[in-house]
Amino acid sequence: MKLNVNGNEHEVDVEPDMPLLWVLRDELNITGPKYGCGVAQCGACTVHIDGMAVRSCQMAAGDVDGDITTIEGLGTPNAMHAVQAAWVEHQVAQCGYCQSGQIMAAASFLDVNPEPTDDQIDRAMSANLCRCGTYPRIRAAIKTAAKNLSGA
Amino acid sequence: MNRIVKTVIFALGVMSVTPPLFAEGETDLVVTQPTTPISTERGMAAWDRIYAVASHPRCANCHVDARNIPIWTDDATGMDRVHGMHINAGESRLGAEGLMCATCHMTSTRPNTIEHAPPHAGIPWQLAPVEFLWHGQSSVNICEQMRNADRNGGRDGAGLVEHILHDVSLGGFIAWGFNPGAGREPAPGTLQEHLDDMITWTAAGMPCPND
Repeated sequence: MKLNVNGNEHEVDVEPDMPLLWVLRDELNITGPKYGCGVAQCGACTVHIDGMAVRSCQMAAGDVDGDITTIEGLGTPNAMHAVQAAWVEHQVAQCGYCQSGQIMAAASFLDVNPEPTDDQIDRAMSANLCRCGTYPRIRAAIKTAAKNLSGA
Repeated sequence: MNRIVKTVIFALGVMSVTPPLFAEGETDLVVTQPTTPISTERGMAAWDRIYAVASHPRCANCHVDARNIPIWTDDATGMDRVHGMHINAGESRLGAEGLMCATCHMTSTRPNTIEHAPPHAGIPWQLAPVEFLWHGQSSVNICEQMRNADRNGGRDGAGLVEHILHDVSLGGFIAWGFNPGAGREPAPGTLQEHLDDMITWTAAGMPCPND
């Protein structure tokens, strides 16, 4: 089947019920999305499909119906997405394992809610777990990213 | 991926058979319309079974009030709790304000095989419209809602039957409720029995316990 990942077309020979996360990591060597729980309880595997945050461990490859963006395609070290830049500014990451999922969730959230309150951030991000407990810095970084995205 | 099932229509004894009212997909359900009047007593017996389905956690847990918070039920104890992860589906009822239900609940007709994983169905995961409140409601309350076209999506009796058939043709939430997959107790009875009960109850004039 054909998958568009980060703007590149890929032809992959996989079973249609293989989780997208497996395809990305094992077939395409795109390892930004992480395996955490395998049951959409942690968010470490979050990617975008046509801009919407999706848990790639739950998405069967055969059900993908849009363009996939992973953390590798969100921005580059020289041209970071506003969320990535805010993550650096606030030094959000500790161990880092959950952070690509956190950033992808935050970027998708800010697309639909560009001026979020703390409560809205908590609601949107509570399904992304961080065992290091970086939540206060995640919230602060999202607010900074929101400001920068709106040009304030 | 489209669910591919076939339509089977055949006559049963004195019952007449009406072709399904939908066109978008096909189902293996059999629609048998009664040829003789249905008594209120039979209608009420059918309603009691419909209520058992509507009030079951598989169905009621997403028919919640304007707080827009879905419910989880521990099947072993019957205890309810709010959906984990601070989830709120918002006024959109599908999470559009922040986190889409479909972020975790895929739109897929594949079987639900993984226990503890978020269930999926063939239509985008969402709460029922807020006026379709079932969770924690009595038989009278749900019955009054379901027969009131102002609060049931503008459906008459035929429309309620068609709603089941249409949902099933898409692999939607009614179909899922009877076949929720690994680790989840299905709604009581079978999908065919539920359809039969809806036909019987509507043919009886949609009687409610408080009539």
